[in-house]
Amino acid sequence: MALLGGILILLLVFLAVAAPLLSTHPEDVWDIHLAERLQAPSWTHFFGTDRMGADLYSRVLYGTRITFFIALIAVSVSLAIGVPIGLLAGYFHNWFSDLLMRVSDIFLAVPQIVLAILIAQTLGPSIPNIILALSITYWPWFTRLVFSETRALQKEVFIEATVAMGASPLRVIFLHILPNISSAIIVRTSIGMGYTILTAATLGFLGVGAPPPTPEWGRMVSESREYLPEAWWYVAAPGMAIFIVVMGFNLLGDGLRDILDPRLRRAPAGEKK
Amino acid sequence: MAVFVTFLLVVSCSQETARKFVFLNTVTYDNLDPHQNFDVATVAIRLNLYDGLYRWLDDAPPHLEPWLATDYEVSEDGLRWTFSLREGSMFHDGTEITAADVVYSFDRILGLQKGAASIIGSLVDAGMVKALDRYRVEFTLKKRSAIFLSIVPEIHVVNSALVRQHENDGDWGSVWLSENEAGSGSYQLDEFDPSIGFSATRFTGHFFGWEPAAHIDKVEFRVVEELNTRVLGLMKGKYHFAGGYFPDFQLQRLANSGTVEILDKEYMRLFLFQIHNQRAPLDNVHVRRALNYAFDYDAYLSTVMKGSADRNVVPIPNNMWGVPADVEGYEFDLEKAQAELDLSGIAIDRPLEIGLISGFSVLEQAAVVLQNGLRKIGIESTINSYTWPVLLEKVRKKETTPDLITMWISAYYVDPHNWIGQMYDPKQSGTYRSASWYVNPEVESLIDKGLTTLDQSARVSIYEDIARIVTEDAASLVVYNARWRGVLSNDIEGMRFCPVGVGQELRWLSWVE
Amino acid sequence: MKLIAIIANRLAWLLPTVAGLIAITFLITHVVPSDPAALAAGDAATEEQIAALRVQLGYDRPLHEQFFSYVSDLARGDLGTSLYTGRDIASDLNHRLKATIELTFVAMLITVLIGIPLGVTSALRRNQPFDHVVRVLTVSGLAIASFWLAMMLQLLFAMSLDWVPLNGRVEGFPPRGGTGYFIIDTITAGRFDQLGSVMAHMVLPVATLAIPATATVVRFVRAGVLEAMQKNFVLYETAMGFPQSVITWKYILRNALISTVTQVGLIFGIMLAGAVVVETVFDWPGIGSYAYNAIVLSDYNAIMAFTIWAGVIFIIVNMLVDVLHAIIDPRA
Repeated sequence: MALLGGILILLLVFLAVAAPLLSTHPEDVWDIHLAERLQAPSWTHFFGTDRMGADLYSRVLYGTRITFFIALIAVSVSLAIGVPIGLLAGYFHNWFSDLLMRVSDIFLAVPQIVLAILIAQTLGPSIPNIILALSITYWPWFTRLVFSETRALQKEVFIEATVAMGASPLRVIFLHILPNISSAIIVRTSIGMGYTILTAATLGFLGVGAPPPTPEWGRMVSESREYLPEAWWYVAAPGMAIFIVVMGFNLLGDGLRDILDPRLRRAPAGEKK
Repeated sequence: MAVFVTFLLVVSCSQETARKFVFLNTVTYDNLDPHQNFDVATVAIRLNLYDGLYRWLDDAPPHLEPWLATDYEVSEDGLRWTFSLREGSMFHDGTEITAADVVYSFDRILGLQKGAASIIGSLVDAGMVKALDRYRVEFTLKKRSAIFLSIVPEIHVVNSALVRQHENDGDWGSVWLSENEAGSGSYQLDEFDPSIGFSATRFTGHFFGWEPAAHIDKVEFRVVEELNTRVLGLMKGKYHFAGGYFPDFQLQRLANSGTVEILDKEYMRLFLFQIHNQRAPLDNVHVRRALNYAFDYDAYLSTVMKGSADRNVVPIPNNMWGVPADVEGYEFDLEKAQAELDLSGIAIDRPLEIGLISGFSVLEQAAVVLQNGLRKIGIESTINSYTWPVLLEKVRKKETTPDLITMWISAYYVDPHNWIGQMYDPKQSGTYRSASWYVNPEVESLIDKGLTTLDQSARVSIYEDIARIVTEDAASLVVYNARWRGVLSNDIEGMRFCPVGVGQELRWLSWVE
Repeated sequence: MKLIAIIANRLAWLLPTVAGLIAITFLITHVVPSDPAALAAGDAATEEQIAALRVQLGYDRPLHEQFFSYVSDLARGDLGTSLYTGRDIASDLNHRLKATIELTFVAMLITVLIGIPLGVTSALRRNQPFDHVVRVLTVSGLAIASFWLAMMLQLLFAMSLDWVPLNGRVEGFPPRGGTGYFIIDTITAGRFDQLGSVMAHMVLPVATLAIPATATVVRFVRAGVLEAMQKNFVLYETAMGFPQSVITWKYILRNALISTVTQVGLIFGIMLAGAVVVETVFDWPGIGSYAYNAIVLSDYNAIMAFTIWAGVIFIIVNMLVDVLHAIIDPRA
C-alpha cells in the first residue's frame, strides 16, 4: 500500500515539475481562446476546454504545481508550529502545558473550514493567504497527536531513566522523545497533506481561493457548475486530479503506518481525520 | 428491507397538488419593507404588494401611468407638485388610502434613510410633503427637477395606521414591516420565509380593477440560486417564470423542452468597467483610451454573452433618448491601444486591480477577457472578487476604490440621469455608480442643467453632449446593454415587460385556457 | 492523573478558553476593513446617513466599550442583529441549526448503521477479498473532495437520471410551526406528500456527508476489532472453545463500539464542518451555509455570533471527549 501511494506521489511530483514539457498548451494558463469554449475532449484537447477556451489538460497539469506548493508549505508551517507546542505541552505537567493545549482547543473549536474562509476573506484571496489560513487551522492536529504520544512515552522506563540521570528537558525532548514519536508524525504529515489539499480545493471551490485565471483545481470544479450536465469533462478532470493526489497521500500514510509502527493502529483521540 | 420499500413509496408520492404560479428569483428576499430596499433584484415585493402614485409600464418606450394618483399639477416655479389621489382605493385591510398615508410614507422613507431615501431626499427635504386635504398631496421641491416625476414611483404607499400600531422605540415599524406587509398592491402576502421566498393571493379589491380575464389567484416568488435546479424545474413545469442569466447551453435545453417560451426583450441594463479617473496611471486620458481599445468586445459578446447583449458605446443605453448618433466609440484594436499608451508617455509598472462582484461567472469571464487584452499591451492586472457589501464599502472612498470595477446599472427610473448623471456627478461620489471619481466642471454643469431644465428637447441635446464628452474622455469602459431573456411557461400569457420592474408585475398575467 | 482531577482541571479551564475564543473572534472581526454601519445602510446611502447609522448602532464607541457591551449581551443570550438581513441572529441560528441537525443526524444514523457492521465484518474476514474491497472503498471514500462528490451525485442522480431533486430542503413552503424538524412536522401534520418531498431532498446531501463518514467509521471499527481480537483474554477464550459468535458479540464488538463512541463526538464535529460545503452546494438552509454567507457578506455580527456559539459547543464537546477517553483508556 505504501508502495502504491509512494509511486503515485512521485508520479505526481514528476508531473508537477515536468508540466511545461508535458502540457500541450502551456500558454493556456494565461491565454484565452473564446472561439474554442467548452469543447469536448479530443486529440488536440485531451480533457476538453474550459469556459475561456483554455486547454483543460494543460491547466490541470499546472494545477498540480499549485496544489503541491500550497500543501507543502501549509503542512510544513503547521508542523513547525504544532510539533514544538505539542512536545512542550506533553513534557511538562503544569499550567503552562494546560494553557498551550487550551489555546490549541480554541483553534480546534471553530470548524477549520469556517476559520479558513474567514481568514482568506479578511485578508483577501491569494495563494499566500490561503497558505496562511490553512497553516493556522491545521497545527492543532499535530499538537494533539504529539501531546498524547509524548505523554504516553513519558511513562516508558527509558525516559524516566534519562530524566533521572539529569538530562535537561530540552535534551530529553529532542534527543529521546522526538525520534520515538517521529513515525507517528510522519504518518500524520502524509495524511495531513491529503487533507490540506482537500481543504485548499474546497476554499477554491467556494470562491475564496486564488483569483482567476489561476489554474486551481477547486476553482475549476466550481466554474464547471453552470455548464453541467453537458460539459461533464469540465468537472471530471480537475475532480479526478484531486482524488488521485489525495488518494496517493492517504495510501502512503496508511502504508507507512503499517510499516513503521504496528502500535499506531490504535488511534488516540483526535488522530483520525 | 421493508423500511427501504416504504421509503421509496413515500418518496415517490412527493408531488405538489395546488396550482400556483411560481416565479424564480436568484437573490433572497430578506426584507419585505418597501422602504428598506431599492434594488432591482427584489422589485417583485414592491411591484406586487404595494402601489405608488405613478407607475412605470411597458417598454419601447416605457411610460409613466397614473396609479394611485389620477393626475398632478405643477406650480409656475416648478417647485410645488400637487397630486390628486384616486378616491376609494383600498389597502389590503379594507381601509381607504388617503393623502395622510402618502405623507407618512414619505416621512418614513427619509426617517429610515435607506433604500430610495438618498435620491428622494436629494430632491425633497423632510417635512416638505403635506396633505392639502383628504385626497390631495403636495410636494415642495428644493429646486426644479426634471427627474422628480420619474422617481415618484419609488414612493411606495404604506398603510400608516397599520404600521404605526407596530412602531417600537422610534423604529418606524421597520422590524415588523420587514416580515409583514401593509400595502394596497395587486397581491396580498400569505407566507414569507427568507430562505424560500414569499407567497401571495390576489387582492380582488385592488383599485385598478381586474378585467374579466382568468387572472392568477395564487402566486409564489421563490428563491433558487442553483442554475440547474431552475432549468430542470422550468422544463418540468414546476416553475413558470424566470428572468436573469442563463448560459446558452441551458437556454437551448429550455427552448427544446416545449414547456416554455424564451422571451427576448430590449432592456436597459448597461454593463461597463468603471475606471478610477483620479488614480495614476488611469488619470491620463490616453491610458484610459488604451484600456478601451484592449477589450475584445466582439468575441466576448458573441461567445460568452451569445446574443443576450448588444454593444453599447456610450454610458447611456442605446434604447434611451440622449444617445448621440455620431459617436462611434471604441473597438478592439491592440495597435490603437498600444499607440495610445505610447502617446501617454507613461510606463505602467504596477498591476492594475480589476474588482468584480463575486458570484457572477459572466463578470469573471469579462474580467479575464480584459486581463488578457491588457497583457497583450504589456499591462499586468489582478482580478479580485468582492461580495457586494464589501465592494460598496470600498467605493465610498477614493483611496480604497479599485482601479477598475465591473458594474451593471439597471433602470431604477427611465431617464438618462439614472446612468450618465449619477456616474459622473462629483456630488454623488461615494455611491456605487459614481465610482469613476470623474471630475469635469463642464460635465458637472451640464448635468446640473439637465436636472433642472424641464424642456425635453433641450435635455436631449444636453445629455448627448455629456455622452460625447465622457466617451471622448474614456471615463469608463462601456461594454454592452443587456437584452432581457425571460423564460415563461407556455401556460401563461399577458406579460407586460418594462425595464423598470423586469416583467415581475404579475397582475397582467393569466393562465392560458 | 486521577479522573476527578482531570475533570476539575478541564472545567476550570472552560471559562478562560471560551473567553479567549470570544476575545479572538471579536478582535478578528473588528480588525476587518469593513464598515458595519455602511453595510447596514445599504448601497445608495450617503456619508451623513452612514455616520448617523453608526452612532445609532453604537459603532462609534471605543473598542473596549463595544467589547464589554457585546459580552454582557452574550450573557443574556442576545447574539445581536444581523447587519445584512436586520433580523435577530439567535432566532436565525436556532432555526437553521435544526436544519443542520436533521441532516447530520440522519447522516450519522446511516453512517453508524452501515459503518459498524461493515467494519466488524471486514475485520473478521481480515485479508480476504471482502476485506480488500472494503479497504479500497474506504480509502477512496476519504480521498474524494466532498464538493466534487456532491456535484457528481447531482450530475448522475438529479440531472441525468432525475431520481431525486437537485437541492433544497423541501418543495415549496415548509410545514408550518412545529418542531422545525421537517420529518417530524410533516408526519404530525399528516402531510405525507410533503414527507416524501422532504426525504427525497435529503438523499443526496445525506449521501455526501455519509460516504466519507462511513469510510472513517469502518476504519475505526475495523482497527478496534482487530486490536480487540488480539487481546489475551480473547485468545484464551477461543482456546477454551467458546463459540466464535459469542466471543464476537461479547467482547470484540463491545470494545469496538466503545472506541467508536468516543470518536462519534469527533465525527459529529467533522460532519458539522462538512455541512458548510454540503449546505452550500445543496442549498440547505442550515448553519453551515449561514456561516459561509455571513462571512462572504462581511456580516460580522453574524460571524461573531456563529463563531462563538459553534466554538463554545465544540469546546465543550472536546472536553467531554477527552474526559471520556481518559475514563476508557487510563493509559493516556
